[in-house]
Amino acid sequence: MEEVDRIIIHSLRSIGCDVDDQVQSLRQFGTELIVATVVRCLKIIIGDIDLPSTLPPGMSARFRLGASLANQVQDLGYKGGDLGYQTFLYSNETEIRRIFMFLVEKLPKETSQAADEPMGSSVLLRRAISIEIGTQLAAAWTPPFLKKKGIRSRTKPPGWQREGACCLQHYHSCQITTPTSVGNLAVKIPKELRAYYNKQMPYVTNQTPRHRDTAPSVLEANALEVAVQQDWENEWNQVGLASRLSQQEFKKRKQDRLLKLIRERLQQDSQRREKAGGLSGATGDLQQLLNSIESQAGAANVKTKGSRFANTEKLQYGKDEEKTMSQVGAAVPTKDTEEELERKRQEEVDSLRSELAQLTSDLEKLDLEVRKFTASKQQMEETIGAEQRDAEQKRAAYSVKKRTLDLLPDAEANIGKLQSVVDTSAQRLVNLAKQWESHRGPLTEQYRELRQYNSKRESEAQKKLEEIKQFRARMKEVADDARRKDELQKQLVSEYERMTKDVNRSAYTRKIMEIVANIKKQKQEIDKILVDTRSVQKEINSLTGKLDRTFTVTDELIFRDAKKDEAVKKAYRFLAALHENFEQLIKTVEDTGAVVREIKDLEDQIETESNKKVLQNLEKITADFQEMKKENTALMAKVKGKK
Amino acid sequence: MLLAFEDSHKEHLSFLVDLDPEVLKEFGKISMNFIRKGTNPKVFQGAAQKLGVPVETVQHGVEGLMFLLTESCKYMLSEIDFQDSVMTLGFSEETRAALLDLYTEHQREVRDILQEMSMDLPHYRDLEWRFDMQLASRSLRHQMSPSILLRLVTEDEGERTSTMLETDPVNLVHMTRVLETALQEMKSGYCRRIVRNIK
Amino acid sequence: MELSASALEHLSLAGDATHIPDKSFGKLVLCACQGVLLEEHRDVVADNPAFKDLDKAVLKSGYSGLVTLLLEAAKHDSTEQTISTILEECKYTPERVKELNKIFTIQKPHLQLLIGKIGSSFPHIVDIDWRLDYYMKNNHMEKVNSAVYLISLKTEVAGETELKEVQFSCSLEQLQDLVGKLKDATKCLEKISQV
Repeated sequence: MEEVDRIIIHSLRSIGCDVDDQVQSLRQFGTELIVATVVRCLKIIIGDIDLPSTLPPGMSARFRLGASLANQVQDLGYKGGDLGYQTFLYSNETEIRRIFMFLVEKLPKETSQAADEPMGSSVLLRRAISIEIGTQLAAAWTPPFLKKKGIRSRTKPPGWQREGACCLQHYHSCQITTPTSVGNLAVKIPKELRAYYNKQMPYVTNQTPRHRDTAPSVLEANALEVAVQQDWENEWNQVGLASRLSQQEFKKRKQDRLLKLIRERLQQDSQRREKAGGLSGATGDLQQLLNSIESQAGAANVKTKGSRFANTEKLQYGKDEEKTMSQVGAAVPTKDTEEELERKRQEEVDSLRSELAQLTSDLEKLDLEVRKFTASKQQMEETIGAEQRDAEQKRAAYSVKKRTLDLLPDAEANIGKLQSVVDTSAQRLVNLAKQWESHRGPLTEQYRELRQYNSKRESEAQKKLEEIKQFRARMKEVADDARRKDELQKQLVSEYERMTKDVNRSAYTRKIMEIVANIKKQKQEIDKILVDTRSVQKEINSLTGKLDRTFTVTDELIFRDAKKDEAVKKAYRFLAALHENFEQLIKTVEDTGAVVREIKDLEDQIETESNKKVLQNLEKITADFQEMKKENTALMAKVKGKK
Repeated sequence: MLLAFEDSHKEHLSFLVDLDPEVLKEFGKISMNFIRKGTNPKVFQGAAQKLGVPVETVQHGVEGLMFLLTESCKYMLSEIDFQDSVMTLGFSEETRAALLDLYTEHQREVRDILQEMSMDLPHYRDLEWRFDMQLASRSLRHQMSPSILLRLVTEDEGERTSTMLETDPVNLVHMTRVLETALQEMKSGYCRRIVRNIK
Repeated sequence: MELSASALEHLSLAGDATHIPDKSFGKLVLCACQGVLLEEHRDVVADNPAFKDLDKAVLKSGYSGLVTLLLEAAKHDSTEQTISTILEECKYTPERVKELNKIFTIQKPHLQLLIGKIGSSFPHIVDIDWRLDYYMKNNHMEKVNSAVYLISLKTEVAGETELKEVQFSCSLEQLQDLVGKLKDATKCLEKISQV
């Protein structure tokens, strides 16, 4: 029973009942405690239930509470005998134990289900949120002037909470600088830079104009660098490795490509504007930008185009200036009336404007013509080239023909000579061919070999590249895996921490195993005793049989002799008496055994009865009854008083 | 209490004294319309031609009637007081009844119109709330900052403005408590006594 | 938590016993915390006599590394273990790791408070005042006779020490509506806290 009690008390404590540490068995439970724990259990099992958790002072209220408790327990499906208010108010141990066993059995199903659920992060988050809000709601309000910048710090749980907005600031970061690679001996730092690092450069917390921007700036600088690093790594993995360039080369190539792209785009746009005719300051700026890019890239061929554009620009502005100068010069000497002056000026402006327009159109026309001329010039050059090539060909044909004509007069001899020349030439050709062949063979051989070698190397490089890629992917995978496992481990650790607070499972199982072993041992003992009893019974039986038989034998023997001898007769009588006496004795012994058993039974009964605390409960009932009476009379008196 | 009429007002109203009750009712309708939407001189001309009197007389009459109505509504005259006040002007039994009908029928409306004209403070119209939990920010990744966003809609001279506000649980609870006590204050004996006594 | 290559480099400088001796290391970490936290201490590392004989360039580098580490660790609410892993990669001795962790655990709430203040918000209600008026008459009307509440919400605005006010009036019914809605919100919070 003790074990059962301990388990019950443990589970009651685990659901938050206030059971004293010294209470070890249900016998020690008082009425108040019983009611409180039963109410707690019911609240957990049923959930929404309106019962006071402490015993009310009034007797009638107590009675009602007891009755409703009994009702609730029966509604749950309790079938252990009749249940009423007396069960709780005037408790007896066994019944209470039975009820608690029933309730505890009902309990864990629901609570353990919730506990067995895997604790997802969302559940943890939800719990954390509710705890946070709980603590904040429990805090007492304080006027704003008692808080330092609207921050309230807590000691339990440690932390702080914000209750105002005056302390808030925006995430504003500034550029911060730090000494680079001062610890790396391989990198040479110029003396001036080192001096700057040593003397002038402020510490990192002293760099931002406002101190409160320090934290954002430091965080931002770090985040920026990490992001750049990641981006670069991605690009390098995806594109960079395949290009088979070193990192610097790859970067350089990328930079060049970008610059070229920008340059082309800008050029296109500026040319389009030029064609549209508008030549404003904006295009000038654009041109400057373009020029700077060009000078940076150092591309000579593009520069010519750009500078031509710049030249025309300069030309035009220069003209304008000249004109204004001449205008000023013309205006000074003539001292006419203002109106005239005005008119003249107007005229002049008009004429100048028209002149300007004409000049511009002239310029345009000229430009067009120049272009036309350039085009025709090119064409001309091409035709000249063609003609020249033609002439060359014709000259060669002419010389051949002339030679032939020269040879014609002495035809025979010349033919022979020519023949020999031709022969020697053919000979030489054959020789050369042979020589060529002898050179060519090994060379082609070598060439083939080299080609093979090259292709082999290439494939090897390709293979290695693949391998590198694979390794990188593996690396990433492993890192991800590690991170994931770390997280899992963290979660499991937190879960484990929570678990240990829960019911001590292993202790339970150990106890149960012990109990089972105990029971087994007891059973064995009982078996042994049974066997013993049986053997004793058998012995008794055999002994009685033996006794009976010996008696009959003796009886017969003595009876036979008794007829002859008087002494034997006496002996026979004694024997009969002896037998009778012994029989009585045996019966008495048997009776004693029965009585002892009965006594034991009765003692047991007394024990159980005394367990029921009848007397005590009776006393309590009478006392309660008296109190109830008193209450009733008081109520009556009140009613009367009201009337 | 009785209304005290000024002489010019009396003079203007005297035109109405001799009118037929039906015509008076018509005048009443016109006055109510004018109180609602403003005057319309064309109506005066039409009425004047029909009745054969100068336009000014009709105008004065209607205006006098309007003033009578607004004044009596301003002071919340009881029916008897209204009748007594009108009696001093010499209206007959029937016309008085017609005027009384007019007054009782439109008293609420006129008071509402007057209420709209009176000085107005920005007053409460609506409140919406939302509960947020800040779990992370750019500079702090693990945090739990609950906040309650409130949108307070107020109205001033018919123009609605909404103000966005924010608060935390502690201040929310405080705010609720303070306003609840404010609400309870109206039920206190002191306030009830004042309400009872000022009538 | 991720630290950039340069930050790691600075950090390993700070952990190198040949540059920063063991006895100054703790002070340097403490200076980094103070320098970040308090405006009046932003240059405290420069004035500290413990670092007088050290190479200033190295000191500045190590200092910035520590500042970055402390801020990032506070930002991610890192555990001692995470920090230890990073520091071990930077070749820190176990004693230094322990010392840094000890200081960080103490300073973490302050650092988190500092970076938790970075953000924005609507005007934040911190207090409320009310006044009950009995509106009797006005120039257009007599016997108005109704209760009018004047309510003033005191709000805090980011970066300003003075409280701002939001004022409005409301009738009894309107106040009932307002209080009902606020109670609703409070109840909602209570419900969440009991999940």
